[in-house]
Amino acid sequence: MSRNIERRDDNRHKKIDRRAWLKGIGVAGAAALAGCSSGGDGEDTPGGNDTQTDSTDTSDPLGTTQGTSTDDGSELPEVGGTYTTAIGNSLGTLNPLYNTESTAGGVIGYALDGSYGFKPGSEYFPRIFDLSSEDNKTWTATIPEGLTFSDPYGEVTAEDFVYQINEVQKSEWAGTADAASWTEEMTIEEKSKYEFTIELPQVNPLYPASYDPYIYPVPKALMEPYVEEEDVEGFQQDEELLNLSFTGNLGAYKLEEWDKNAKITFTRNEDYYLRNVDGIDRRFSNAPYFENLEVRVVPEQSSRLGALKNGEIDTAGLPKNRVNEFKNNDGTYVNVVPQPYNRVMAYNHRDNGWTTGPGNLFRNKKFRQGIGCAIDKQAIADGIYNGYAKPHYTWQPEWSKWYPDNADIKQFGSGDLYGKEATQSRIEEAISDTDYSYDGDQLVNPDGNQVELSLYYTTTSSTNKSIAQFVKQEFAKNAGINVKLEQIQGTTFRDKYWVQETPENPDEYEWSNGGYNAGPYEVTSSESWDMSIVYGLNTYPLNPTTADVFFMKDSYYNPYGYQPEWNAKELFNQASTAETEEDVQEALTEIFVNVADSQPMGMLVFADDTIGYRTGIEGPEENFFNGWNFSTWYRNE
Amino acid sequence: MATKNTSERFDTVDWDEIAANAPDGNGTSTRAYLAALGLLAVLFVYDLVVASGEATFAAVGVSYDVPLFHWVLAFSLLSFAFLGLLPLVRNRGHASANFAGIVVATGAMLAVIIYDGIYLANAVPTFSAIGWNYDVTGLDYLFGFSLLVFAFYAALPLYQNPRMTSYYWSEFRKNRPAMVSLVFLAFIFGVGIVGPLFINYPEAEFFRKYQPPVFATVSMNFVLECVGQQANGVCHGTWDYPLGTTNQGRDILTMIIYGMQISAKIAFVTTLIAIGVGTAVGTISAYAGGLVDEVLMRYVDIMQSFPTLILYLLILYIFGADLTLFILLLGFFSWSGTARYVRSNALAKSQEEYIKAVQLSGASLYRIIRRHIIPNTASSIVTDLTLLIPAFLLAEAQLAFLGLGDSEIASWGVLISVGRNDLSFAPWITLAPGIVLFFTILAFAFIGDAALDALDPEAQAEAES
Amino acid sequence: MGLGWYITRRVAWTFVVTLIIVSVTFILLSAAPNPEVAKAATQAALQGDNPAEAEERIRMIRGLDKPFTERYLEYVTGVYTLNWGWSTMNNEPVTKSVFEALYYTAQYSIPWTLLTITLGPIAGLYSAASQYSWKDHVATGITFFGYAIPNFFFGIVLLLIFGVQLGWVPVLYNTDVPVFSLANAKQLFLPIFVLVTGSIGGIMRVSRNESSEYMNADFVKTAKAKGVSRYRIYARHVLRPTMVPLSTTMVGQLLALFVGSSLLVEIVFGIPGIGRLSYAAIIAQDTSVVLGFTLFFTFLATISNLLQDIVYTVLDPRISFDDR
Repeated sequence: MSRNIERRDDNRHKKIDRRAWLKGIGVAGAAALAGCSSGGDGEDTPGGNDTQTDSTDTSDPLGTTQGTSTDDGSELPEVGGTYTTAIGNSLGTLNPLYNTESTAGGVIGYALDGSYGFKPGSEYFPRIFDLSSEDNKTWTATIPEGLTFSDPYGEVTAEDFVYQINEVQKSEWAGTADAASWTEEMTIEEKSKYEFTIELPQVNPLYPASYDPYIYPVPKALMEPYVEEEDVEGFQQDEELLNLSFTGNLGAYKLEEWDKNAKITFTRNEDYYLRNVDGIDRRFSNAPYFENLEVRVVPEQSSRLGALKNGEIDTAGLPKNRVNEFKNNDGTYVNVVPQPYNRVMAYNHRDNGWTTGPGNLFRNKKFRQGIGCAIDKQAIADGIYNGYAKPHYTWQPEWSKWYPDNADIKQFGSGDLYGKEATQSRIEEAISDTDYSYDGDQLVNPDGNQVELSLYYTTTSSTNKSIAQFVKQEFAKNAGINVKLEQIQGTTFRDKYWVQETPENPDEYEWSNGGYNAGPYEVTSSESWDMSIVYGLNTYPLNPTTADVFFMKDSYYNPYGYQPEWNAKELFNQASTAETEEDVQEALTEIFVNVADSQPMGMLVFADDTIGYRTGIEGPEENFFNGWNFSTWYRNE
Repeated sequence: MATKNTSERFDTVDWDEIAANAPDGNGTSTRAYLAALGLLAVLFVYDLVVASGEATFAAVGVSYDVPLFHWVLAFSLLSFAFLGLLPLVRNRGHASANFAGIVVATGAMLAVIIYDGIYLANAVPTFSAIGWNYDVTGLDYLFGFSLLVFAFYAALPLYQNPRMTSYYWSEFRKNRPAMVSLVFLAFIFGVGIVGPLFINYPEAEFFRKYQPPVFATVSMNFVLECVGQQANGVCHGTWDYPLGTTNQGRDILTMIIYGMQISAKIAFVTTLIAIGVGTAVGTISAYAGGLVDEVLMRYVDIMQSFPTLILYLLILYIFGADLTLFILLLGFFSWSGTARYVRSNALAKSQEEYIKAVQLSGASLYRIIRRHIIPNTASSIVTDLTLLIPAFLLAEAQLAFLGLGDSEIASWGVLISVGRNDLSFAPWITLAPGIVLFFTILAFAFIGDAALDALDPEAQAEAES
Repeated sequence: MGLGWYITRRVAWTFVVTLIIVSVTFILLSAAPNPEVAKAATQAALQGDNPAEAEERIRMIRGLDKPFTERYLEYVTGVYTLNWGWSTMNNEPVTKSVFEALYYTAQYSIPWTLLTITLGPIAGLYSAASQYSWKDHVATGITFFGYAIPNFFFGIVLLLIFGVQLGWVPVLYNTDVPVFSLANAKQLFLPIFVLVTGSIGGIMRVSRNESSEYMNADFVKTAKAKGVSRYRIYARHVLRPTMVPLSTTMVGQLLALFVGSSLLVEIVFGIPGIGRLSYAAIIAQDTSVVLGFTLFFTFLATISNLLQDIVYTVLDPRISFDDR
């Protein structure tokens, strides 16, 4: 149960989260679900064997080698049976226009395809429409013929999308989940029955990778009455949207019954449109291969794992300490899927940070580098994640195609950049012109008391708790700093610590950009805090420029009050408006070097998803795009 | 007065003294106390409502904002003065050892609180002056007070009345499970109270997680480093960690010892609140009757009808799972059962002949209550107590299981919930505290049973006749 | 001033209690930060919109922009007109949520309650009748075990042994099976077993202690002397007076267990009943659902209190209605 709380916290980062589950088309179908049922970072209790998993080391996290179809003319799998999966808590809504939860997004994906996705090798994979552009500014979406909604709505046409975007997503009243992806500066026009254009205010070569144009097809006739009345409540509660009964041939399965707290059942959709699309994997031609699909609601993790073990369900996310057990178990196998979500420890650069004495050493880059040297990141990955995590040095996982292999990314918390000597020499340099000093091994404030920093972590995540404990030990050992651990509820943390109180006169400040960055240092949240391990963030391996908001002093997401000493704004601007991929890479490389050097927050680890499947389930892949082709998965008896 | 006690019956032992020393004996002091409390309450409400956000006495030009701690302190001092000191001074020479003892001890404790809270301003550990690095918390003081009450009104009377004690003892000894239980509980609470003062809280050692208990084994699938012997893919336990380690590599035995203290706190403090309020309300309601009875019982009705678990969940979820909050919550929301039980017992007993006879002989109502009703419902209270304490411990474990425990503390419930996902391969994390909890509850049940048999004066009298 | 008038008064009282409890819960919920609002604000902030505007919008959608008193009055009227509102968590009317959950809860709680109230007093009486014999010790031991072992803990252990290791019972609760079927009995056996062992102990102990008082009472001795059969004595002379104090404890205890254990047992065994749903609603701060469940539990509690008091007076005629 505790996990639910944690996930809700994470869901607050809605856009981040949404992108998360949209990372590959079919991801919605499978990996996201499995990942969620494992509790993601929320609850995976650490433990287990000291196995450096060979899988992630030797495999290819982006699936570049397996991206192409394998048309070897072999027999198509047989259709039959039931694929059963489990989720940890019941779903609120399946209304595709209003859902903001990743788990529900996965379930929606069974019955309704989103507009497009990516497949292994980071290749664009068109579904409901294909996106293309000559100038990277005006993008044309082309809908194939033969896509139909259920009766009486008829064929999917450009008009449905143009109407949805202009009248619903852009509107003031509807408040849909994707509203922010569609701004007034964008012009959406119907070109023909199956074609419409999206004209962006500025060039964006990575537009599809931003997932902004990702949208679900919804019939115009269904939306019209609500649009005319501006009836939000009715729109949210519409039976056809909630029960996905309008989906026609747009999903691999059809939602049969939704028993809120027990299970959701689907049956095979014999008319799935991808069967008739040419040029894709032959296995799509008779997809899907399960007669029925079941999503069970099973709150207890131990029950889910027990059910996977004895075959009552076919997949479940595994806590790291159970991976070896399920690997060695006869009826199951385990896939390790790399993830771009990080565990970070935020430092409070604002005036209500650094509560232990005068000044705020978190604003001092040398000091941040110093404490960066205090934490052994590999030990977190091995000790807390049982090796199913990678140290996190800059704002990109190493397997990303944007990760600069040859650049000088400083690896704080590893090798020479770890240990007491490395830590204290940097901190000493940072405090040389202050009244702080080292008294023996203890860092003391001007009053002569040991420096004590608070570290807030969410109560509900055992991983967060373990990391917090570890940080406390490492800080005491290497930096001579005493860490005071404070457990906190996610909502409370957000309300009282994370969000600043909006100043009465925002115009007086250099910037004031909403509650998450209501101004410079002197604008603070109501309660003071020093460090926190509450929110994990996304590093956007498909389009790293999206991460700009985390590093610009006046962006709309800077609750920790970071003010870069490098030119973040310009570099990100350079990256997102570059004409060629090389130029993008160049700018990104510089960004990553700077982020690693500047240590805006304590970057700790990237945890992998570890997913268990029943032996015989064919289709899951050990790469970031796992699940993109979920409709072609089958059981090999 | 204390010396004239020759009765073998528990009921006539100390209740007289309590009653004699109670402020009710003197109308003016009661009124003064109530007036002072009223004034304090008015000021407090003023601070909350009118002067919220500014110093309490800003209106009269004094820039002193009263913190919550000072409010609580003021209330405690006031109660101490009127309920403790004043009667003690009035009855000097007559006061019982029990009453004098508790007043003096409480006074000493209040002095420490004032030293800790005002002189040290909570900045340094309480006993740092004598080189002892233990910081006493508010809950510790409450716990201390409960222990004092227990010592002076449960343990001391037994010592003062050796004949009665030996009689109960001989009755009690007949029940072997209860004897074992008593030893077990004494051990649990004794170690729990003393242990944490001397043993350090176990550090997290992540590479030593899931070490099995001594003589047990675990598959190497689950451990990172095996401290003990390692053979055939299994890791053997060692005496370094007699009960194994948790998912953070903490020593479970030490955590259980820390958990004992928390259980002791829950048991003593919560019980003190629940039994105190419950008994008072129950007896008053039964004998005052009329409007008082109606109002009190209707209030109890509402409390009993309230889905308390939902209330606990709501409050703990909103305000955070803090052990002190949890204990107060439990205490102040669980007296209704006791009150009803005491009342119904008192009502039933009041129909009995001897009470009627006493009533006819013109004894005052107050005297009837303290001489006959309280002693005669003692068996109910003891039964109830042995039901309540385990219920509190269980409630803590349940809420911890739901993730609403104070995960910063090592209560048994938190430990059980920590291990529940690892149950299939590291069952000791859940089993060890679960079994200790189980035996603790079991011990209470056996003791309650035996105590009831021993204390039940009626059944006894019948048997002797 | 007979029974009828008494019941009428008590039912009227039920309304007062409900009102008070609903009001308290309502105030508590209003005091809590709303995660929906928080979510909307974060979402907006992350997307470059003004979070304050987003908060306003969601408040409007959820009707939170109205003054507190207006919302309160609206809700209270809804409660008594059986319009319990819309669940934002489940996207269905609250009444539907409650009844659906109740359907699953009833399947295990009815057999459990019946077993407890019949077996509990009988076991207690049996123990008291043969006090300190080995039978007493065995009966006491068994009930003490069930009483002392925490329900959820016992449930997890049993499920682990019989579900995961031995495979005798399904690990996952299946909502598809018919109510009266072997499969349903199989999957409900463990939860009912755990609950009965948990609840029977307390009742058995109270009834043992109480009835032991009467075992030695004069009227029992007289009856014995008169040669009344043992079972008749136990049923009429011991059980009946025992039920007086017992009934007070029993209802209260059962309710506490009902609300408490059902939640934990439902979570452990994956039964989508009221306990689990109300917990989920609190976490999601789905006000309508929380209040719906509060209402349900309150109703249950007040009605059982009423029944208990009636039983109390029927069993002990010495206490008349007029006194109360």
